[in-house]
Amino acid sequence: MGVQTLFQRGYNRMLLPAVVAVGVFAILPLVGMIGLAFTDFHLIKGWRGEWGLHNFMRMTQDRRFLASINVMLFLSVFGVLFQVTMGTLVAVGLEKIVPKWRFMRGIFVVPFVVPAVAVALIWLSLFTPTLSPINAFFDIFGITVPAFLTSEYGAIFAIVIADTWASFPFVMLLILAALQGISSDLEEAASIDGATKMQVFWRITLPLLKPALLMVALFRFIETLKHFPLIFIMTNGGPGRTTQATNYYAYIQTFQSSKVSYGAAIAVFLFAIAAVISFYVARANARITDA
Amino acid sequence: MRKNGFDLKQNAGRAMMLGFAIFTLLPIVWAIILSFRPASHLFEPIWSSPTVLTWDNFGTLARSDFPFALLNSLVTAGGATILAMLIGVPAGFALAKGRSHRKFIASWMLLLLRMAPPVGFVIPLFLLYLNIGLIDTWFGLIAAYMVLTLPLVVWSSWTSMAQVPNELIEASLLDGATLFQTFWKIVLPAARPGVVATAVLAFLIAWNDFFFALIITRSDTVTAPVAIMNFVSYATVDWGSIALASIALTLPTVPVIIFANKYIVQSLGGAVKG
Repeated sequence: MGVQTLFQRGYNRMLLPAVVAVGVFAILPLVGMIGLAFTDFHLIKGWRGEWGLHNFMRMTQDRRFLASINVMLFLSVFGVLFQVTMGTLVAVGLEKIVPKWRFMRGIFVVPFVVPAVAVALIWLSLFTPTLSPINAFFDIFGITVPAFLTSEYGAIFAIVIADTWASFPFVMLLILAALQGISSDLEEAASIDGATKMQVFWRITLPLLKPALLMVALFRFIETLKHFPLIFIMTNGGPGRTTQATNYYAYIQTFQSSKVSYGAAIAVFLFAIAAVISFYVARANARITDA
Repeated sequence: MRKNGFDLKQNAGRAMMLGFAIFTLLPIVWAIILSFRPASHLFEPIWSSPTVLTWDNFGTLARSDFPFALLNSLVTAGGATILAMLIGVPAGFALAKGRSHRKFIASWMLLLLRMAPPVGFVIPLFLLYLNIGLIDTWFGLIAAYMVLTLPLVVWSSWTSMAQVPNELIEASLLDGATLFQTFWKIVLPAARPGVVATAVLAFLIAWNDFFFALIITRSDTVTAPVAIMNFVSYATVDWGSIALASIALTLPTVPVIIFANKYIVQSLGGAVKG
C-alpha cells in the first residue's frame, strides 16, 4: 500500500457522493418501508396511528400469503434447476461436444438482452392456443397441446419455461468463463489413464465447475424471488391465485387492495431473506479474496 | 466399434444442441413473423398463408404513443446510467484501492441492494413522490432507478479497478499527480473495458425496468415497457403491434450481444478483489 495510504482522505472524498446517494436513494426508502410495516397506513383510509407487530401477526394467519411462499419457492426451485441445467449443458456443449459450432454462442446469447416485458409478451403469445404456432404444428398430427395458462400447474410451468428461456444465457456465459479457466491438464491426464469422455466430465470437469455452479445458482435463485413482469403479463397471478408469488402478492396488497402497511410488511419479509443470503455471499466473497 | 459408439454420442450431443438452438430461436423468429402479420390472418398458421404479410403494424406503432415512450425510456435509462456512473465509478475506485476497514460492510450492502425486492423500495418512494409531486416526472424515475443502477455500478467498477496494478497508481502518485488525476488519466483508461461494460449493463437494467415505471409514471413519462401494455386491451389484443414493439424495445440492447464477453460476465458475477 505505502504511498497510497497517504491519499486516504482523497479516497474518502471519492467515496462520499456514493455514500450520500445510497443513503438518500436506498437507505431512506428502506427505513420508510420498515416504518410503514409497523403501522397501519391505508392508501384510501389513511393512517389511524396504530403501531405494533399486527401486520406480521396477520402474515402468519394469512393463507394467501403462506400459499404465495409456496408459489415463490416453486418458481425459484424449478426455474433455477432448469436454467442451470440448460445453461451448463449448452456451455459444455459449445466447449466440449461441438467446438466447431462456436458461432452458435451468438445465437444462445440473444435471449439475455430481450427485456422481461418482451419475453413475457412473446411467451404469452406462444402459450395462447388459438395463436401459437406450436399448437398449430401439433394440430397437423392430430395432437392437441393443452392450454398451459388456464391450468394451475400449467401456468406456473409456463412462467418457469419463459424464465428459463430468458435466463439460461446468463448461466451459459458464466459457465463458459469458468470452463475456460479450468486447465486442461487434469482432463488430459485422466483420458490418458483410460477414462472415457463421460467419466472425465463427471469426475473431473463437473467437480471443478462446482464453485461456479453454486454461485450462478445462487444469483439466479435471488432473481427468481423477484419475478414480476412474467407473472403480471402472462398470468396476472391466475388462474385463481395459483401464480401469486410473494413479491407479486406484496404488490397486490399495496397497490390493488391499498393496504400499504401490510404490503410493506411482506416486503420486509422478502428483504430479510435477501439480507441473509447477501450476508453469506459477501462472507464467501471476502474469504475468496483474502486467501 | 469404439469409433461407432463415439459417433453415436457425438450425434446425441449434436441433436441436443440443435434442440436447444430451436428452443432459443423459436420465440425470436415467431416475434418477427407476428410483427409482419395482418390482423386478419393472425389466427391461422403461418405455413397456410406464408405470403400474407404487411407493413401495417409499423404504421400503427408509429401513430401510437410508443415512439414517445421510447424517448422517455431513452432519457430515463440514459440519465440513470450517467448519474450512476458519475457517482459510482469513483466510489468503486476508492473501494478497490483505498484502505478501509468497512469493505465487508460495503460489499454486503451493495449485494443486499442488488438482491432486495424492488417492491420494498417502491412503496415508500410512491408515497413520498405523491407528496412532493415527483410522480410522472423524468427526475423522479431517474432518482428511483439509482436503486437499480448505483449498486451495480459501484460493485462492478470495484471489481474491474481492483485488477489495475497498484504499482501503476503508486508510480503516478510518486510523480506528483493528485489522486483524482491518477484516477482519471491512469486507472480509468486501464480499466476501460470493464467500465464500458458496466455502463452498458446499467443502461440495460434501467431500460428493461417495468415495475418502477408501472408504479411511478402515468402518461407524461410512461416508458416503453409499460406503454406496450396499451396494445393489450380487454376487447382485442393487437399482437402484431405487440410483437413489433417488443422487437423495437430489444434492438437498442443488441450492442450488449457484441459486448457479451468476459467483461459482462465479470461485472455480473465477479468476485471483488483487493
